[in-house]
Amino acid sequence: MTSSALLLTSIPVLLVGAALAVGLRANHARAIAALVTQAIATLLVLASIVPVLAGDASIEVTWPWPAPIDQIAFRVDALGAFFLAWSLPMTFLGTLYAVGYLRPYFSAGRNGGPHFALLNMTSVAFVLIYSVQNALVFLIGWEIAAVAAWLLVIWDYRSQKIRFAGFNYLVSTHVGLFVLVAAFMLLHSYTGSMDFAEFGRYLSSHPGGQGTLFLLLGISFALKSAFFPFHTWLPRAHSAAPAHVSALMSGVIHKAGLFGFLRFTLLGGRPEAWMGWAVLIFGATSAIFGVLYTATQRDLKRMLGYSSTENVGIAAMAFGLGMLGWAWSNPALATLGFGGGLLHILNHALFKCSLFYAAGAVYRATHTIDLERLGGLARRLPRTAVFFLIGGLAMAALPPFNGFVSEFLIYSGLLSGAAPTAEGDVVLVCAAAVLAFVGAVGALSTTRAFGLAFLGAPRDPSIHVGEDAPRSMAIPMAVHSAGILILGVYPDVALVLVEPALHLFRFDPGIAGALDLSVVLTPVVWACRALALVLGVSMVVAWRRRARSSASVTWGCGYTAGTARMQYTGSSFSAQLSTLFRPALPVVTREHLPTEPFPRHASHLSTNHVDAVERRMFEVLGQGEQFVHDTSGRIPEQPRFAFAFGLLALVVVALVAIGEVL
Amino acid sequence: MNVAANIVAMLVMPIVLAGTITRVKSRWAGRRGPPIFQLAFDLWRLARKSSVYSTVTTPVFRLGPIVVLVTALASACVVPLVGTTSLVSFPFDFVWFAYVWSFGRVALMLGALDTGSSFEGMGASREATFATLLEPVLFLVAGALCLHSGARSFSQALVPQLDSAPALVMWVAAIIALLVVVQVEAARMPIDDPTTHLELTMVHEVMILDHSGPELALLQLGSAVKLFVGVSVVALLLNPLAGTGSLAAVGAHLGLCIAIAIAIGMSESLIARLKLRVIPQYIVVGLVAGGIALLSMLGRGGQG
Repeated sequence: MTSSALLLTSIPVLLVGAALAVGLRANHARAIAALVTQAIATLLVLASIVPVLAGDASIEVTWPWPAPIDQIAFRVDALGAFFLAWSLPMTFLGTLYAVGYLRPYFSAGRNGGPHFALLNMTSVAFVLIYSVQNALVFLIGWEIAAVAAWLLVIWDYRSQKIRFAGFNYLVSTHVGLFVLVAAFMLLHSYTGSMDFAEFGRYLSSHPGGQGTLFLLLGISFALKSAFFPFHTWLPRAHSAAPAHVSALMSGVIHKAGLFGFLRFTLLGGRPEAWMGWAVLIFGATSAIFGVLYTATQRDLKRMLGYSSTENVGIAAMAFGLGMLGWAWSNPALATLGFGGGLLHILNHALFKCSLFYAAGAVYRATHTIDLERLGGLARRLPRTAVFFLIGGLAMAALPPFNGFVSEFLIYSGLLSGAAPTAEGDVVLVCAAAVLAFVGAVGALSTTRAFGLAFLGAPRDPSIHVGEDAPRSMAIPMAVHSAGILILGVYPDVALVLVEPALHLFRFDPGIAGALDLSVVLTPVVWACRALALVLGVSMVVAWRRRARSSASVTWGCGYTAGTARMQYTGSSFSAQLSTLFRPALPVVTREHLPTEPFPRHASHLSTNHVDAVERRMFEVLGQGEQFVHDTSGRIPEQPRFAFAFGLLALVVVALVAIGEVL
Repeated sequence: MNVAANIVAMLVMPIVLAGTITRVKSRWAGRRGPPIFQLAFDLWRLARKSSVYSTVTTPVFRLGPIVVLVTALASACVVPLVGTTSLVSFPFDFVWFAYVWSFGRVALMLGALDTGSSFEGMGASREATFATLLEPVLFLVAGALCLHSGARSFSQALVPQLDSAPALVMWVAAIIALLVVVQVEAARMPIDDPTTHLELTMVHEVMILDHSGPELALLQLGSAVKLFVGVSVVALLLNPLAGTGSLAAVGAHLGLCIAIAIAIGMSESLIARLKLRVIPQYIVVGLVAGGIALLSMLGRGGQG
């Protein structure tokens, strides 16, 4: 069988799986149908892309199709292969997780068929998005992914809050779709074709006229990947969705936005320097705001959601750097930028899915993910705690975990002094400082989330802690954690996927001045290996020796009646940071403070960190509504308003008429 | 030879510096003070003791101190500790330096949160917040030094480069910024008073309130190593012979380290610590100095 046949067979296999999942009668049969077909499809896709990754030509095949599509061209190049290589396996793991996570619903008699079918459809969407060359079919794949994600999010549709989050997501993602359609229509009007290759020919031959398209495509992909300030749907959706859906959305599905960005960067050919700067600064903004929001969230999954805004921002910084390298004809910089960004996407997918799965295990055991109510879970859920800690340390980009390796590549590019002007160099160093700030706040958020939920004593005695994650939930977490650890000390495993994609950016390691990423990484990876080895050995030795020790209560600084309620809380942990960055981190305070020496009524204080963009958006909407209401209320009383509007309308009509005549 | 010297310095100098600071403070207070190697005796005593663990704690509490010490040593490996070259040196090793420090900090904070004590949570929160402002300082300075010299690693970049007026500005600003980094990271005055007895105002010390025996020894050695590494970085920038690799350079480096330790001891005897509220502003001074160091690169013109 040829590669293309293998790839395309995966689509009917997945569709059959979806049909079986809906048709079969028992939930476990439905789950098995989805899992088996996804496993087959994953193997088929992996088998088909191996030649592409090995350096052979891209997979190309064209199908005739009725109008208006005429023909569908499938083409998997190394970029598509990179995304396919982990998207399908991770969706398979997510489906496996779903089996365990949704079990309580199944025992209550809920039909899981549609849910499993939608997970299969998500995989179909990946195969389409990452391989088709036809804009219409691309949009269909895009829409399948969006609608499937929406339906997956509202699994618990009985709750009003979750339906609201779902619709919020649906509206946002379709605004993005409209913008994308607009961009494709514009391209269609220029080229008379819906084929990406035609788009590419047009874009690379008109390097000057890309501004509008760059903006339209940029907004659409930014909405998909939840960049700041287009992220408002994200915290709600991630908090409402089942854990595996949050994981897949954050780690895998929304990487399609970054894929679209890279695809069109490639089609457009050599970018201009201002585009690189724009992407770099846009990414940095996203990273800063995303990470600041992670530091103040009460809801564990909301916090992880904001962290994906942060991480796509970091990836965009890297791509901006790569575009600058391309614009400046600096292959080394372009390799570091695009290579670091791609590796970071993969790393993020690994640790973010793992963290969401762990958060899901916490939810399953305690029925809450409110950090202020949790505590001491490491004793009750040791397995989940270990997986969360590994994921969290990787999220904070600490060595020897995988997040550090990709950020190191990005730092190497930013600090290399490769800009043609001194000003450019200074701005790049400032971007490195921004990345350092993001890393430090990320470390704070990881410490806060893990420290509050898993360490210390349980904060709320009313929470009953159930069992640790069952095997179907633990296996996906274990696989992801293994990936985190392996890529931290052997990033070459991932570079096998990344390097072929880099060739597309026309930087062959053969030509002078280009670099081999594994050579750049060699010293720091050896340092990571040494650190991992020394840490591992010394921990084992220390644990074995475990000399005499005695147990006592925590030192209360002289106070002996401390209770679990007196522990430091999440909001107090981030209070100082949120005060320092108050303009970016608005807080809604509701307080009823005692007034007299002997207060006669109960007092309370509650603070809630809200999203600045969402709040502002609704404020503006509210003000607009108020304005319209006021004005329309005044029109009947003030005839001159009506007269003025009439006159204005006449002038507009007259101008249009004159324009027509001329 | 160089390797052996670096390793010996890594193990001995932290203790000497800690002893020097204590000795200077004792002299200012009119006492004779403990021996210079007192920290070594203390560590030995602690290492033989048994530990007391709070009933709330998990293995994170026990293993955290190991991470603190190992990461401190890992950061020491990329800094030229005797003024010659470092044990290990590779392009952009200061990124590694900053992130292993960050790892050590996270391990310490997790250990603090593991006890469930609100005082320790307070310390962890402060440490984390200060770090967010501090990390960019290091990168601004390192970036400026790299742009100026075209060097890529700590060993090459940390030499005084005073060939022009902008370079002089950068050098002064870089030293100020790095001093702030060292004061905060090593938890010295005026950021943190290591000898304070009021838990409410502590930053670093409060996080180790519950550690005892070998764990406490690991943490104390870790913070002494961090102090020496930080002092070394500043001393390298001050050392006119840095980068020559001569024996005189080694002597000058170690002398400068002791001199900085004496200065720390004097400042801790003579000035009071800052109010906690003011500390972020103090770190912003470092941030501004780092920014000035970087901006002075604009005056250099063109590619260096």
